[in-house]
Parts: sequence; structure tokens; C-alpha cells
Amino acid sequence: MSPAPAALLLAGLAAAALLADRIVSVAAIALVLLLLCLRAPAGRRRLYLFGAIVSGLSVFVLTPFVSNIGFHVIWSGPTVPVLGQLDVTREELRIGLFQGLRLTAVALAFAAYALLLDHDRLVQSARFARRSVLAMALATRLVPTLERDAAGLVEALRGRGVEVTGARGRAQLLSPLLAGSLERALNLAEAMEARGYGRPGGTRTPRPGWSTLDRAALALGALAVAIGALWL
Amino acid sequence: MALATVAGLSFEYPGEHEALRDVSLELEPGEVVALLGPSGGGKSTLLRALAGLVPHFHGGRFEGSVLVAGVDTRRTRPADLAGTVATLFQDPEDQVVFTRVAAEVAFGLENLGTPPESILPRAAEALAAVGAAHLAQRPVAELSGGELQRVCLASVLALRPQLLLLDEPTSQLDPDGAAAAIELARESGAAVVVSEHRPERVLEACDRVLFVDEGRISEGEPPAAWRPRTAEHPDAEPAGPGVCRVEGVSFGYDAVPVLEGTSLRVGRGEIVALVGPNGSGKTTLAKLAAGLLEPQGGTVEREGRACYLSQDPGRYLVKERADEEVALAVGGDLERARDALATVGLAGFEDRHPRDLSSGERERLALAAVLVAGPDLLVLDEPTRGVDPPRKDELAALLREQAPGRATLVVTNDHVFAGEVADRLVSTVPVLEPALA
Repeated sequence: MSPAPAALLLAGLAAAALLADRIVSVAAIALVLLLLCLRAPAGRRRLYLFGAIVSGLSVFVLTPFVSNIGFHVIWSGPTVPVLGQLDVTREELRIGLFQGLRLTAVALAFAAYALLLDHDRLVQSARFARRSVLAMALATRLVPTLERDAAGLVEALRGRGVEVTGARGRAQLLSPLLAGSLERALNLAEAMEARGYGRPGGTRTPRPGWSTLDRAALALGALAVAIGALWL
Repeated sequence: MALATVAGLSFEYPGEHEALRDVSLELEPGEVVALLGPSGGGKSTLLRALAGLVPHFHGGRFEGSVLVAGVDTRRTRPADLAGTVATLFQDPEDQVVFTRVAAEVAFGLENLGTPPESILPRAAEALAAVGAAHLAQRPVAELSGGELQRVCLASVLALRPQLLLLDEPTSQLDPDGAAAAIELARESGAAVVVSEHRPERVLEACDRVLFVDEGRISEGEPPAAWRPRTAEHPDAEPAGPGVCRVEGVSFGYDAVPVLEGTSLRVGRGEIVALVGPNGSGKTTLAKLAAGLLEPQGGTVEREGRACYLSQDPGRYLVKERADEEVALAVGGDLERARDALATVGLAGFEDRHPRDLSSGERERLALAAVLVAGPDLLVLDEPTRGVDPPRKDELAALLREQAPGRATLVVTNDHVFAGEVADRLVSTVPVLEPALA
């Protein structure tokens, strides 16, 4: 499948998850996206799946403590300044689960986009807003690049006999990772300018036209949005 | 008529000292000019001025003029000069835009408005010219440093520029690859300005030599340290007790074998240089020797502490003071860290932020960060990348001086350095043919 219709299909599924009103519908969309993500190599998908699932779980766990909805109390806790009484109701759990699944589904759609799509072809096939598509492709590459840089830092430290362990040890890597990213971004911007990026009159590498499968994916993406808005 | 004319060029980066001082030169079409000089002397800045990146991209104070193909670089954006000028930067890792090789080479052609039907053939032709046709569909993240450098060279050759600016284009290439790259640049028909720290190849191919030091340019015979040297072939017998013994190891990445049945022994008191073509598994073998990788077959035995200095180590610094960075390996002992800094010529740099140092200073800081531990086995991966000849001599002298106390393994493509520093050479060979690797 061409990357552009695949990206639109994923965007359609993410939009459907945001538009749907029922937990079971959002859960089904999240499950489909999870199965898609599992097609990526285990080593690459780990970080994305961890991020998607942990962010969804965080919303589920935190929502009952920061909202005050419903009458069916399941657990009553102490009164905390600012937050008030900490209690958990059935309605809060339901809303937490719903919003957590929504976030997970959207994060999984991005994960599938980052893991499974050929971003080079996506940029090259962009007929408009090519700069935005390229910026998005470069931003998507940030995750694996940071992962590689972090691995390089850990290896460099191990090479000196220093083991990076625990959350505190890993937290020490954040500042050099950020500084390294900024240096890399500047160097890349300079190299892109030197290769003519941004000058008018650019052309594109020829690409084969869309296949039936590509058209079907595009239709399915639009259908997912409509179904999400009207029936799910 | 000259292709490029630089007249009275002085340039100062924002908040820094003068990088170029009253530089004047002319470049004729088709000539090859070698640009030699110490690190930080102004070579890269001169190349950036010829590409229009100085002052457009970097800002700063600019005096004088630079004309390329009749165009004043101060009045023209670097992107508009692209095609007339093409630049290969020092760090191939930092100039890659796309994830796959073919798209990367096509990127510049697309920006220049090359007819769509010509883009892929020209990209394929450039890749074939640098011996990287087999890499066209590979993800750039999976390439070795040398392979990536070839791809970046193909990306600029594909543009068919009138002026080709190469900033250390062979720093990660094996000797055959380096010779081929310089020859290719020469055959491209463009005027070529090539900045190099390994002068042997480039001096053979160039028409004239420019020397840049402290921002000033001179022409003619370079100082003695920059003159070509003959690579010796050290062949001492393996030294006494083996600190590191690698026996019949095999290793691969994602089922692609890199090493099969490889053995290596490094004894206390000797320096072994590990050489071999790009992609032949030198770095993998070095990491196995240092204990950073576990062999998938065979055995690795070590005695005592091993330290490994990676390629491009200046990228992997984590602390905010130079002495604290070095002290990491010795449990925060700042006294030992200061001694180690002095050993590599960085006395007085203790409180500097590592990222404020020049690239050469960062490399020396990273070297101090492994030397401080006094390892029994010291493994250095391409320690001369981006290092000028006098600094290479200093590094060789330092390693020789400290050699008796430890076993030292140096991975290098620099055969002259290997000949000067090592007691013996060990070569790796690719497990697979390049087309299959």
C-alpha cells in the first residue's frame, strides 16, 4: 500500500476513536491499531507501545482522583487540600477508561504511522504542503534517533566502566540527549540548505499511481470517520 | 576566467574570535585544491564561505567578497547556490535527511528541479560511482560510517556541481575507498576543494595546496607535519600474557553475519592495530574485545579492566564540567581527572562545559575520560578521525608512552597512523560480499 492512503487510513481510525461515544467501540479501534503495530519488529515497537499504553493507563488511573463525577462511590479516601475528598466512583472509572482508551488509540495510530510507513515515499508523494510533510517525517525520526543516541551514550559510559542504572541514572542522560539533538538539528538544517532545500521550482521523483488497494484504504479511512461520528 | 574569487575575506562567528583573516584566492574550473591546516584553523569556515553558508546560515561579521560562477555569495542564498556549489560536510551522520539511501541521494536533485524522469537514473549513477549501488534500498540507520560517507559523497556528486567542497570526505573510508573517492571527485570535472587530515591521498591527486592556520591562508609546500608519509607495516611477534583473548567468535546483526570464526589476541605491553575494509566488522570485534557485546559463538576472555573509546566520542559527553566528565570513570576522583586532562593537553580546561569545546578538544577530553581509569585493555575506535597530523603524532607518542602498562587495541583506517603507533596489524575481512552484506 502507498504511504499516503495508509497515513490517511490511520488518521481516519484515530479520528473515529475521538468521535466514538462507546467504550467498546474505542476499545475495538485500539485493538485493531495494536494488532497493526505488532507487525513492526519487536525491537522498534517496544518504546512506542510502552508510551501508548502507559499514557492511556495514566489517564485511567488519574481521572478518578482529579474529577468529581457520579454518585456510585466505590472507595472513599482522605480529604486532600486543593483536590478535596479523594473518592472513586463507578462513573469516574468509566470516564477514565473511556478517555484512556481514546488516548491509547490515538497514540497507537501515531505508533503505526511511525513504525510501518515509508516516510521517504510519503514526503516524495506529497503534492502540497511538502515542507510540513518533511517536517513531520523528520519529527517522527526523532524518536528512533533519540533512542540511538541514548544507546550510544549508554555504550560510551559502559566503555568507561560506568553502568547506567535506575531512573536517576537514565535521567542524567536527558540533558546531553537534548543538547545533542539541538546540535544535530542545526547541522541538518545547514546541510539541507546547502542541498537546495527551500528554493522554488523543485521536482519529485516519479512514483507509481495509486492502486485499487490504496483507493480502498482512502475510502475506508473516510468511512471510519463517518461511522465514528454517527454510529459508534 | 576564475570559477571562484575570494577577495580580502575576514570573518568572525558571533561572539567568537576571527575565524578567517584577509583571505584571498582564485579557483579555476576543474582544478583540485588541497586545503590543509590544523583543526580549528579556518578550513571548514573557508568552505562554508565558498558555499554561501557563511554568513547566511551562521551570521557573524563578514568583510570582503566571495564570487562563485559570477554570483556574489552575500547577495545569494545558499539554497540558490546549490547545484553550482555542492558541499560534503564533516559528519555524515548529521547531513542525512531521509531514511533510505535512494531517497537521500535523490533529495538534492529534487530540490534543484531536475526533470523527474532523470532523478532516479542520476541517483543510481552516483551511487554506482562511489561503489554503493548495492546500498540503494538500505535504511541509512543500518549503514556503517564508511558506507554512510560514500552515500553522502554520492548525494553531492549526483548534483554535478561546478564547485565541489569536500570537508574531510575520507575520514571514515578505508584506504582503497579514500583513494577512489578523491579520484572520483577529480574525474567529476568540477573544481574541487578538499580539506583533509590524511594528506597522502589528496596530495597525490591535487593541483595545488593551500594551508590555512589561524584564519590566514598560504600557498605552496605544506609544513613538514602535513607532508605525505609512507605507511610502515609493523610485524612484531605477539607480546607476552594475553590480556584479551578472542577465540573463534561469530556475531551478526539481525541475522546478517559480520564475524565468523574470528580470533584476536592482545598482550600486555603491545599495541595492535585492527585494520580492514569498511563493513568488515572491525568495530564489532573491538566491542566484543572490550566486553560491550557478547559473542553469539566462540569465547572472549579478558583480564582486568577494559575501556572502550567509541567513534566520534565528542558526541557522547554527559557532564557539565570537563573534570567531572573525566572523573566519572574513577568514582568522582577530581584529582585523578585533572591529571588525566593535563596528560592530553587540556590543563586549564577543568571548569569548561564539554560542549563549549572545539571538536578536537572534545575528542581529547573523551580520551582522558578512558585513560583516567588506567585500564588493562584500552580499545580505541578510529581515534584519528578529524585529528590533524601534529595531534596524531602526539596521540601516537602518548599511546606508545603508556603502552608498557596495558594492552592496546586501535581500530583505524589510517594506515600511516597504524604503522607509526602499532607493534603489529590484524586485518578483518568481510564475511559477505559487499552486495550481500
